[in-house]
Amino acid sequence: MFIATGLLSSSSLSAPQGPSNVKESPPTFASNGLLGIAGELNVDQDSSANPAISATKSTPVFTSNGLLGTTRTTRTSQDPSTSTTQADMPAPTSTSNGLLCGAQFHLTSGDAGPLILGLSSTSAEVSESFISNGLLSNAPSDERTPTSHSLFSPDSTQDFDDLPSVSDAFGIKPIIPQRSSATTISVPRSNVRATTFDGKTIYLRRKPKIISPSTNASTTAQKIGNLLDVPIHRLMDQLSSVTAANLQRMDQISIPGSSNAQSTSTSTVVEDMLWVDRYRPRKFTDLLGNERVARDAMTWVKQWDYCVFGISKGKKRARDSDENIDLQDELRRPMEKILLLSGPPGLGKTTLAHVVARQAGYEVMEINASDARSGSIVDDRIRPALESGYAVGSTKPVLLVIDEIDGATGAGDNTNTFVHKLVQLIQTRSRKRERTARGRDTQNKRTIRRPIICICNDHNASSLAKLRPHAYQIRFHRPADIHLVKRLKEICVIEDLKADSRALSTLVSAAKGDLRGCLNALQFVKTRDEDVTEGVIRKATSGMKEEDSSVQSVLNNLFTPLSKKRVKELGLTDDEEARYVARLSREIDNSGRESTIATGCFGHYATLRRHDANLSRQEQAMEWLSTYDRFTHAMFSDGDFSLNQYLPYTLVPFYPLFQEKGGERVERNQTDWEHLQVTRSNEEIFKTLSRCLRSTAVRYSGDFRHLLNAPILQIEFAPYLNRIVSPPLRPVNSQVIRAQEKALMSRLVDIMSTLELRFVQEKAEDGQLTYRLDPPIDVFITYDGKRASDIAVSRYAVRKIVSAEIDAVLIARDTGVVEKGKRGKHDFFGKSSRTDTLDDASGSAKKRAKTVDTRDIADMPPTDFFGRPITVASASTTKAAVRKNVEKKYRVAYRFLEGNSAAVRKPVKVNMFI
Amino acid sequence: MSLFVDQESYFRPRTLDTLHYHHGLSERLKALAASGDFPHMLFYGPSGAGKKTRITCVLRQLFGAGVEKLKIDQRVFLSPSKRKLEINIVQSNYHIEITPSEAGSYDRLVIQELLKEIAQTQQVDLSAKQRFKVVIINEADSLSRDAQAALRRTMEKYMSNMRIILCANSTSRLIAPIKSRCLLMRVAAPNEEEMMTVLKYVAKRAGFDLPPEAGEKIVEDSNGNLRKAILILEALKMQTPDLNGPLSIAKPDWEVYCYKVADLLVSEQSPARVMEVRAKLYELLSHCIPPTIILKTVAERVVEKVDEALKADIMHWAAFYEVRMRTGSKKIYHLEAWVVKVMSLYKVLFRLLMQNPFD
Repeated sequence: MFIATGLLSSSSLSAPQGPSNVKESPPTFASNGLLGIAGELNVDQDSSANPAISATKSTPVFTSNGLLGTTRTTRTSQDPSTSTTQADMPAPTSTSNGLLCGAQFHLTSGDAGPLILGLSSTSAEVSESFISNGLLSNAPSDERTPTSHSLFSPDSTQDFDDLPSVSDAFGIKPIIPQRSSATTISVPRSNVRATTFDGKTIYLRRKPKIISPSTNASTTAQKIGNLLDVPIHRLMDQLSSVTAANLQRMDQISIPGSSNAQSTSTSTVVEDMLWVDRYRPRKFTDLLGNERVARDAMTWVKQWDYCVFGISKGKKRARDSDENIDLQDELRRPMEKILLLSGPPGLGKTTLAHVVARQAGYEVMEINASDARSGSIVDDRIRPALESGYAVGSTKPVLLVIDEIDGATGAGDNTNTFVHKLVQLIQTRSRKRERTARGRDTQNKRTIRRPIICICNDHNASSLAKLRPHAYQIRFHRPADIHLVKRLKEICVIEDLKADSRALSTLVSAAKGDLRGCLNALQFVKTRDEDVTEGVIRKATSGMKEEDSSVQSVLNNLFTPLSKKRVKELGLTDDEEARYVARLSREIDNSGRESTIATGCFGHYATLRRHDANLSRQEQAMEWLSTYDRFTHAMFSDGDFSLNQYLPYTLVPFYPLFQEKGGERVERNQTDWEHLQVTRSNEEIFKTLSRCLRSTAVRYSGDFRHLLNAPILQIEFAPYLNRIVSPPLRPVNSQVIRAQEKALMSRLVDIMSTLELRFVQEKAEDGQLTYRLDPPIDVFITYDGKRASDIAVSRYAVRKIVSAEIDAVLIARDTGVVEKGKRGKHDFFGKSSRTDTLDDASGSAKKRAKTVDTRDIADMPPTDFFGRPITVASASTTKAAVRKNVEKKYRVAYRFLEGNSAAVRKPVKVNMFI
Repeated sequence: MSLFVDQESYFRPRTLDTLHYHHGLSERLKALAASGDFPHMLFYGPSGAGKKTRITCVLRQLFGAGVEKLKIDQRVFLSPSKRKLEINIVQSNYHIEITPSEAGSYDRLVIQELLKEIAQTQQVDLSAKQRFKVVIINEADSLSRDAQAALRRTMEKYMSNMRIILCANSTSRLIAPIKSRCLLMRVAAPNEEEMMTVLKYVAKRAGFDLPPEAGEKIVEDSNGNLRKAILILEALKMQTPDLNGPLSIAKPDWEVYCYKVADLLVSEQSPARVMEVRAKLYELLSHCIPPTIILKTVAERVVEKVDEALKADIMHWAAFYEVRMRTGSKKIYHLEAWVVKVMSLYKVLFRLLMQNPFD
């Protein structure tokens, strides 16, 4: 009874035989209700009629019947139980109805064996009728019917006898539906009677129901939706996957190009699809191009099998990959955790990654240029995905494909770039054990357990520099034209496009092997309903990259006319060949390196047309170059980048001026670059020199600062300074030196020490010791590698002496500074250190002697903090003497030496300090 | 003791009275400093004429010996693109000396920030002789347009707190509003006698006698540039200490090299020679010799050597390409363009002469 009420609502649409059931035996209602669902599904009068018949027989029938009704949608695991209930069934006729509906579903899931057994056992005739009804349209049911029939044949005959008699008794004619058409049936209006828990009878009004006969499995599935234990969207997915599979099968049949009719039907259905997508390879074997590349990629992905799936494939493969597998790694991942695919566009890198991933049983998670590429994305998206290992709602392990990675941030030393983060991600090793031992957070950083495939065009991109050592690199090369042409031809056949192979090979060569470009061009041709001929192809590919526009090739094209072969390849007429401006300017523009090309032109032009009478060509060429230069300057200094589009045209004139058949190829000219390097190093020397001057200026309160300004330093100061610091000196002992030379020497030492020039000892390549001027200002008198003739190169011995003297002076100066600080108290009237340093080395020696000469501190009269002699006991000392002493001291103590402070200066009397 | 050329306390005059030449100018400056109505000033004149020396003297006249207590430090300015610009600043309590061209194209920024900062603070020292501070702007002729425009208003607005002294080689690159706001002071190059007296003074201070013939040679060679003259004197003194006998005064090496370029240019005109000249020009440029000076020196030398008919043209084109050089960035292109132009001119003329030799 309980079940009956519960299912009453759902059975409201069941057959009008409801009342009759209750009349016979109330408890059966439950099963009837369940069956009602079946009735609803079947939309046939006789499905509800049959339960009524069974109701008269016995109760257990209905239970089983009910069960059967619900199990229609359940999966294989529940099938055995259903079949057991069937075994008990005394009245199989009614069961057959429920079973029939169930069978329909199970057939779609492909596992309905037991149920069909039940169905066949009940009555062959009924099942027959239902098949005609269109509900059992699937072939397998027909196949299995005979086998099951043989199993249950005794029962079935018996039941078959019962069926007509019972139906007659109730005056209900079992309608064997023959309505396969889409006519609607309205169920007659009547009250449904139900009994509540305490035995009250309730009449429920039935609404008139328009029921359309189900012709499609999917609509049926939708209707039962809310009572199924498998959610409706699952079923929908299942259904769509089946249709997708069908479509795919159709496609695969059509790609080899079997029948024209089939392909045209497909094309009419999906004409809005790009051909590139339609003919995208879906299987590993469909892949075009270098097979080795595809195999390598596959092998690499397979190396993850142990880590991801926990299995290792066949022995042979395991042995192969062992070499590459990281032995230290307990997960047995490959050495390189990243696969880097690189190659020109349109060769199928992305497709390869996807196909390989699918083939190896992964779910692809793709990150491409349309996503953000900052470093944070690694933490936000990639790491969680790789750590969990599965995409949301998927049972397959995830494989990360990072497309167009060369566009990601990553250059520079910044640690927050995408590539840097990615490398960090790879490098984190699992330290699970250590961390748990220390009780640290294990969730923090885990090692990755899923493969990553990166795709880029330029594997030399600077942003990838950090990634390259950690990646297994596979480079794509252009597949042989013949393969491409073959594949294009197949596609043309399918698309019903007339194409001769010459036109196709032209297309392939114009596209430089870019299959995607080829397909797009073909589709374009198709939309215009033209046949694929060479002319059409030329037109269609006119915008395509025609030339590998490296700087070198652009330069060569600028200085040499097109070769005959190339003219033919491009299919140009004489007239078109003569129109060079558009062609060359596009080439220059494509290369994107106008300045390099300009430098190349500048380096090369003077070697050509050497017999021009009055250099008019060169003159014109220079005119264009200087125009170019002014354009670029305006562009970069004023930010006026709209000039950029005119730049290529300023370089094109080199072609009419200098083109020469069979002229020598343009060599890469390094002169400009070398010049730049030399200039940089020389500028650095100038900077050092001016730094020296500046520090001198600081020390000598502003001297030399006037020499610092840029042109004066280079033009006047540097050349003469070189002469000043290289006087003709003889290498003689300082004891026997002549007075004149001695003066010269001391002056040289003085100047050099003041300007902080120095001789530095160095070992030359041949092991000889030399003294080098530091900073090396002598480069400024060295032109073409030769020193100025009027400046004698001072000899090693001289430089040695000078160097020693300079060192002595510098030491004296340093100690002078220190001593000046020390002397403050005791040597008030000593010479200032400044005058000391101005003396030469001998002077410093004298000074040293003098410092020794000063009295020892112990011999001095005791003084207090301010240097006043402490006159505790000696009353004999006159006051005047003391005053005089004090005066003398303070007069010097406030001497202002150099520099200034931010303090406000104001006259203060000495008294205030005492 | 140090180099003759630049030691303030020893060789360089420090007061207006001790200046050796242009006494009239000195008198005027003195009067100006005493008047209490000191204007903005623009000192201009050729290199080595003593502009900076004179400015220093004027400052001393204005503020007394306190100006000589100098402090040199570096200030860092941030460009809008967050680039650091280091500017050297020489300052005393009373004045500040900057070279804005060190900041390149960001000189406007330096001018604005620094001048505002100075102008908005008043002189703290109550005992200072003047109520204003002085800002010296070196190489004013290489100030960009923007920077000069930035100066305009500042010069008027902060007149009470600040005076500006500009120092430039020529006034041609200063915009008219700046010129009209300043009192223009032309410091001409000293003539030969004046240079001679200066050289003799330097020699006396250094403790030796300058033989008159040596002095004449130096004066002749230095072309009115006193700084150069003193540098030559010092170089000569080091090379041949007694300064007697035949003296050979060395030209700066880059100049010699420029002459070589000119000779190459004149002796042959062909694309091959263009390449040779180019190598030499690269060498000069890599020694940090300013390209305008290279062009000028070479052009002057070429003009000396060529036919009368060509001289005007060559100078014209030199001027033409110098302008282009300033509006461009790759200097070598324009230098070579001039070289090719000169060669072409030469060839055309030569052909004309060949066709009608008795014309």
